[in-house]
Amino acid sequence: MTSALPTATPAAPSYWTASRRVFELSLGEMLWSRRTIFMALVVGGPVILAIVFRLVEWFGLPALRVNGVRVEGAAIFGVMIWMLFVRFIVPVLGVFYGTALMADEVEDKTITYLFTRPIPRGAVLLGKYLAYLACTILVVLPSVMLVYFAVVPFGQIPATFGQLVADLGILAAGLAVYGALFAFIGAWLKRPVLVGLVFAFGWEPVVVALPGYLKQFTVAYYLQALVPHTMPSDGAMSVLQSFFQQAPPLWVSLAWLTGYLVVFLVLAARIVERKEYVLEQ
Amino acid sequence: MPIHDQGYRRYQGDRAAAGRAWQVIAQAGVRGIISQRKFLFLLLLAWAPFIVRAVQVYLAANFQQASFLAPRADTFREFMDQQGVFVFFVTIYVGAGLIAADRRANALQLYLSKPLTRFEYVAGKMAILFLFLLLVTWAPAISLLVVQIAFAGSFTFFLAHLFLLPAITLFALVQILLAATTMLALSSMSKSSRFVGIMYAGVMFFTSALFNAVRGITRSSGLAWISPSAALEQLGDVIFRLPPRYDLPPFVAGLTVLGLIAVSVLILERRVRGVEVVT
Repeated sequence: MTSALPTATPAAPSYWTASRRVFELSLGEMLWSRRTIFMALVVGGPVILAIVFRLVEWFGLPALRVNGVRVEGAAIFGVMIWMLFVRFIVPVLGVFYGTALMADEVEDKTITYLFTRPIPRGAVLLGKYLAYLACTILVVLPSVMLVYFAVVPFGQIPATFGQLVADLGILAAGLAVYGALFAFIGAWLKRPVLVGLVFAFGWEPVVVALPGYLKQFTVAYYLQALVPHTMPSDGAMSVLQSFFQQAPPLWVSLAWLTGYLVVFLVLAARIVERKEYVLEQ
Repeated sequence: MPIHDQGYRRYQGDRAAAGRAWQVIAQAGVRGIISQRKFLFLLLLAWAPFIVRAVQVYLAANFQQASFLAPRADTFREFMDQQGVFVFFVTIYVGAGLIAADRRANALQLYLSKPLTRFEYVAGKMAILFLFLLLVTWAPAISLLVVQIAFAGSFTFFLAHLFLLPAITLFALVQILLAATTMLALSSMSKSSRFVGIMYAGVMFFTSALFNAVRGITRSSGLAWISPSAALEQLGDVIFRLPPRYDLPPFVAGLTVLGLIAVSVLILERRVRGVEVVT
């Protein structure tokens, strides 16, 4: 008597299931890596600054008085959102994690293990992208909340809480769009970090301050249009930017950001599907 | 079939003089970077401001109507400031992988098993970065000074601003030393050049963003020491005999820069070792 051998091979997981599995795998790796120390340092800076401001305020030191007038907590929070989160932390985390999504696997020569699984290659990128998004949102948004509660006095919270919610949404949107953009750059180019830094800290700050259509080829233009706080003037570029400021309507900004997100994610997935990654020996 | 003597034989070749091994590392590194077209493009781009300034000097020297474009001492200061962007990108391009790549390939042990000291290894690596940073700071600024003399057809401006030569040299040296030591220290801390690049950008931009936020809130620039870039700018103003732009005593700016260099050297001393002893 012979036992029947199973002949049917299990069906390959769907695109979404595969992405979810890669997401679960990558999230743990991202959260418990040395990179998280870098991210914690970056987002910890504003928290420490906010605590210092709170202490200065408690002790009534004159540091937070401009021409004898006390600087409002909500105004301080607005400056920190602009200067630290919107202009620095969101783009830099996008560059840092976005470019590393595929490049890390190539550098560590582990991409082979992922590509030999019976899953679509694009799902690998999508899963890693979702892990990046979850990881950064889980770290950045609580940091913003801490800064808010450290800086804004209790009495001002009811009036400004709506702004905080808007800020959290804007930062999450920024992380999503920058992440998609730099995931595309990381999947496409061999030296993605330099290109990413040039884009985030060379191209965007300059172009956003110029008149004309060029600013539409940036993420910052649409993202900064959503920020509910007044833009602080910290130099010639800020003055130029406020001079030529033509903030697009809310729906236009949201539409462009969504468009960028979808286009760059699709492009990144297509590149990963088609590109032949050569591992250095 | 001849049987060769497999015993010990003394080395018969030429011996390089002691203390020159760094040159081998520097030469190999420079050759490796120069052979990359992308880098040559970046270098060419870094000279674009020089061309713009040279045209400005030419117009001022030859057309009465453009005399308002005539260079002053602060023109050279502004020029050095503008080159800061290229210093940043060249530092990342050239420096990020200098030690990180060796650490990744476990080549550090190989290097240090040769007649090469740790100091020579670091000096060789630093020389690579130093040379390329000179090419985007000191070389174009001095060339601009020469161009001014050539287009004006006289030494009047040069003699009236004799301090410019040492000022350009000193500021370029400080700027390069700060960038090179910081980058090498970061490069020795990781095996991934991408991570090093981001860390360097983080150090430079994050401290600047932090300082700008503090300045935006307090309306005072007394805490410019938070940002090494701002401290360097302050030092540059003093070196070029211009009014300092921040409310920061120049010696504090100097201490900030020196402190960062000292910390970087300390990190290099601890990280560049042939064998890492784990206790």
